[in-house]
Amino acid sequence: MVARFRNLYGASPLHLMAVIASFLIATYAFTRIFAAPGPISTMTFFIFAIFAHDAIAFPLYSGLNWIANRSIGDRASYWMAERRVQPVNYLRIPAVISAFLFLLYFPLILGLSASRYEKSTGLSSDVFMGRWLGICAALFTISAIAYAIQVRRASGKARAEDEALLGDS
Amino acid sequence: MKRPSLPRIRIPRPNIPKPKFPEEPPPGPTRPTFWKSPLRGPWLSSIIGSALLPLIIICAVTGFLSHAAYNPTLGDNSFFPAGGISVNIYFFSWPTVPTFLYAVTQGLHVISGVIAIPLLFAKLWSVMPKLFEWPPLKSISHLLERISLALLVGGALFLFFTGLLNTQLYYPWKFSFVPSHYYAAFVFLAALALHVSLKIPTIRKAYRERGVVKPLRDNIEHTTPEPYVEGSTTPLKPARPTISRRALLGTVGAASLGAGLMMAGQVIGGPLRKISLLGPHGIQQSDGPNGFQINKTAESVGIEAAETGDGWRLRLAGGKEVKLSRDDLLAMPQHTYDLPIACVEGWSTTQSWTGVRLKDLAVAAGATGASEVLVESLQAAGSFNKATLSSGQIDDDKSLLALKVNDVDLSLDHGFPARVIVPAAPGVHCTKWVSSMKFSVA
Repeated sequence: MVARFRNLYGASPLHLMAVIASFLIATYAFTRIFAAPGPISTMTFFIFAIFAHDAIAFPLYSGLNWIANRSIGDRASYWMAERRVQPVNYLRIPAVISAFLFLLYFPLILGLSASRYEKSTGLSSDVFMGRWLGICAALFTISAIAYAIQVRRASGKARAEDEALLGDS
Repeated sequence: MKRPSLPRIRIPRPNIPKPKFPEEPPPGPTRPTFWKSPLRGPWLSSIIGSALLPLIIICAVTGFLSHAAYNPTLGDNSFFPAGGISVNIYFFSWPTVPTFLYAVTQGLHVISGVIAIPLLFAKLWSVMPKLFEWPPLKSISHLLERISLALLVGGALFLFFTGLLNTQLYYPWKFSFVPSHYYAAFVFLAALALHVSLKIPTIRKAYRERGVVKPLRDNIEHTTPEPYVEGSTTPLKPARPTISRRALLGTVGAASLGAGLMMAGQVIGGPLRKISLLGPHGIQQSDGPNGFQINKTAESVGIEAAETGDGWRLRLAGGKEVKLSRDDLLAMPQHTYDLPIACVEGWSTTQSWTGVRLKDLAVAAGATGASEVLVESLQAAGSFNKATLSSGQIDDDKSLLALKVNDVDLSLDHGFPARVIVPAAPGVHCTKWVSSMKFSVA
């Protein structure tokens, strides 16, 4: 009997029971959303949220990543790669952190709610763009310094290796 | 023991048509060779999921507590449409001790939510190939699971971003934030519970085969792809790694931590508020006694200075009706306590408040031992121009109708001539510009 169910459904009866329980709770919640103000707006945002990462964010950031890898990524051979410091992560890491901070604070950074924010809190929202840019600048500067140190260290090591090789021959 | 053999009953097999897809996936992301990242695989998704789950649990529990803090069963405190079973699950009255309770629960709610967002994006990136798996539908169970995943992803991003935008006072929508955020949580948590229970075998297998944290020890030279398994997220033809798994997780973790610390700064306050560079309430208005943060200024809710002048009277109702001027209130016994004011948006600040005890006002209104009080503001409209407080909140010695803060008169923006301050209550229940208090005795 269970085998037949499995064949028809594609999983165990327990799976179906869990799915039904989960969907019942969701259905209840959606009926409540439809009793609350602005259900169409809620559903529009909900559907947008389903696709927001996969259809918008993912193509955007993976495209940028592709460009970064294409332009300054590693195209040297394995042997060379071990000796060369890869610049791409010194660009990607501060870029990813800056991008997340933007994603988390974009309404304030872009002043999207500036008039409401200023009226409600009595504070100015002008500061946030400058602060975010300052954080980005600091992250990229730290990254650039770290890169410079790594390059110096690697070139010193490479020179020592070259000299050792020349000395052997 | 031998089971008695039952006569076999032949049930005719129902003829359910199975969706037919070509064996070979079309070119593009449905091909397993399309996905190159050598970092993707069950282990990576498991470790990110394991980091996310406790954050989501904290966020969910504190979220439901936040609703309980409104004492939704009293008066018009509930923001929910009539009907439903929602209010009945809040069987307890929100306590007044410890005084920092709501500052902590709501701070945790906002901080854990913010920290979860970068991890959620990493999680979604790690399972991208699953979106394009081929064939797109294998069975009824597979179809239902995919529908549930749509609810999971949609619910997660809806919840995190509506919450996030609410803390920054940005409302690009037409729905009411509280009920939509609250009920979307049901959709999300139901889908999450299903997802976690279905994925436990995958997670256990990944940890058993690769260790829980062992892959984090590998630097880029030692970063190797997880072995290819058909139908999983591991790549068939992996590219050479350009970053180690620990560097990827470290980067996402740094973004989470940085954003979380900025939110934490405006919860903990004091010198830590300075690290709250992008926090909506990281800025102090001035250094003066009334310089601390404001949720809604008098101007923003249409309070005019004239309404709060000498003509202002506090109307008390209960056993009898009494009208008190500010001088009358100042002539009553005054008490001073250090209490936090904690906002639903996650920020808080502790100040020294001076005023009359709510229970003394109950006595003055002839309603000794009142079971609840409806506090109304001069504010004509708006969501929080009134609030109903519970008997526990009236009875607490530290529950005040504050007239002063930090030894000076309240400023107009902080609720002059008088505001409520109740320990551990949400800031929006600490009504400002109080005009009347109606006590009821059960």
